[in-house]
Order: sequence, then C-alpha cells, then structure tokens
Amino acid sequence: MIADPGAVETGDRRMQLLVELATTVARAPWTLGRVDRTRAHAAGLDDADLLHAIALAALFGHLNRIADAVGVPLDYAVALDVPQIDPAAPQLAPAPASLTGREAIDPGGRPATARALADWRGYMFQRDAPLTRRQRTLIARWVATWLGDGGISAPDDLTNNPHDDLLRALAEQITLAPWRLGEDSFAPLRAIGFDDVALFDVCATASSAGVFSRLNVALVALAR
Amino acid sequence: MALAIVDPAGDPALRAIYTAMRERPLPPAYRTPHGGVPGIIAAHSLDPQLIPRVFGCSTTLNGAGPLSWPERELVNAITSRLNQCFY
Repeated sequence: MIADPGAVETGDRRMQLLVELATTVARAPWTLGRVDRTRAHAAGLDDADLLHAIALAALFGHLNRIADAVGVPLDYAVALDVPQIDPAAPQLAPAPASLTGREAIDPGGRPATARALADWRGYMFQRDAPLTRRQRTLIARWVATWLGDGGISAPDDLTNNPHDDLLRALAEQITLAPWRLGEDSFAPLRAIGFDDVALFDVCATASSAGVFSRLNVALVALAR
Repeated sequence: MALAIVDPAGDPALRAIYTAMRERPLPPAYRTPHGGVPGIIAAHSLDPQLIPRVFGCSTTLNGAGPLSWPERELVNAITSRLNQCFY
C-alpha cells in the first residue's frame, strides 16, 4: 500500500525513474522535457520502456476516473489500512499553455497498443448518442486544453449555451479532481435530463480524451 | 450516489461481453476471488461496447513488456495513488 506517493523509495534507480515518470504523467505531463528522457536513458530505461510507462500511466488515469465515477467496490479483502480519499485535496493544476510538435518517441512503436487506442478513440468520438458528436468534440477540446495538448484547437468558438457549461464543469472535475466525483457532480446534468447512461458517456468521453491527450503531451514534451 | 452498475442478468449483450472478458487468458493473480468480472470492468457496464476497447488496450499494455510485471504494477499503483483511487 502506498501511503505517500511522494515518499516512495524503491532503492533501484530504474524503478525510481518509473515512479517519477508516472508521477509527472499523472500530474503535469507538459512539464516533461528532453532532460527527463536523458536521465531515464542513464537509469536504464530506453525509449520503448518510456513509451510503455507513459501509456500505462495514461490508461490507469482512465481506469481511476471511471472507478471514481461509478464507486466500484473492491474485488478482494484488504488486510492493510487503506488510505482514505481526501476530498479536500487540491485539484490538479491545468497546463499553463499547450504544446505542439512532434513526439520524441513514436507511439507507433507499440503497434498493438496504437491500434487499440485508435479503435477506442474512434468509438468515443465517431458516434452521436447518448452525447452528440459536437458535445464529444467540445469535451475533447476542453480536456486537451487542461492537459496542454496543442494538437486539438481551443474550444472557445464552440462554447455557447448553458448546457455546455454544465458539461464543462463535470469534464473539468473528471480531469482535474476525479476523487471529488459524487452525486453533487452529476446533479446539474441530471436536472436537465441526463440519465446514468448519458452521465457515464460524459465521464468516459472526458477520461478517454484524457488518455489520448496525456499520452500525446508527454511524448511531445520529451522532445523539448 | 455514484453512477449505476448494470446487472448483466437482464442484459444479454452485456452478459456476452462479460463472458468474453472472463475467458481472456489472464494470470491467476488477476482473477477475482468472487469469480465474476473484476469490478473495474463492471464499472464500464453503462457502455458495454466500450469494455472491449478499454480492456483490449489494457491487454496490450499489461500483458507484455518491455517493462517487467513488477515495473508495470509500480506504474499502475503510483498512478492510482496520485489520483486517490484505492480500487
């Protein structure tokens, strides 16, 4: 059980770099840079290792958010004291600016993962129910902005009705403070007719967009 | 109240997806003591078609290297802890 993720000491340079990398990908992927890639190489992590770790951290960001949205129970008994969620913990900081450019590491270096991600992305963004395609695009663009993904243009031109503001508020909580998800998070959209299926679609669209943007931002940032 | 988990008993499509997920080759450590699908799969039950997409991707990342199994679990655990997710 990890009580304090900031105090994890693995005693192994390669494992310690993985702790640092996962931490940065989860919190602020845009802060990675060429120096991190160089340090990782010196610790025995090559580019394939880095791509693997970044993709894993991005995927688990989605699983964590969906687990929080649904409140899924544990599958097994835990003998240790489980740390408690701290709802007062500050939300993650949004990116101060968006990154553009080429990835330092080609995500196609894991072909099966790249195909699976493309299939996932197509499913999330190429359909019209329960959310409309426009709503999906809006959410993806907001998430990209919060994560510093300059590969998707800013959403300002599309934000023009009160329902969008409610969608934005839920997408923001999913992206920046998923541990605070609860009925208060869903109530405003329920009040305008969103049922659980539609609310889940909002959560899944935002958290899926987070996977794709987090991966892209981290890989682009490593080139700077 | 969090979002619902759909009972597969009343949803043949979801039940078929759960069956396919249970039949995936998995290390024993990932099999649940209750014999059903893991809760994180059931957490996606409101959108059954998303399940094979997400967990297909997961299989490509958690089922093979180059990172070793302990290294993969370390990344997953650190990420979950930072997101305050204790599932």
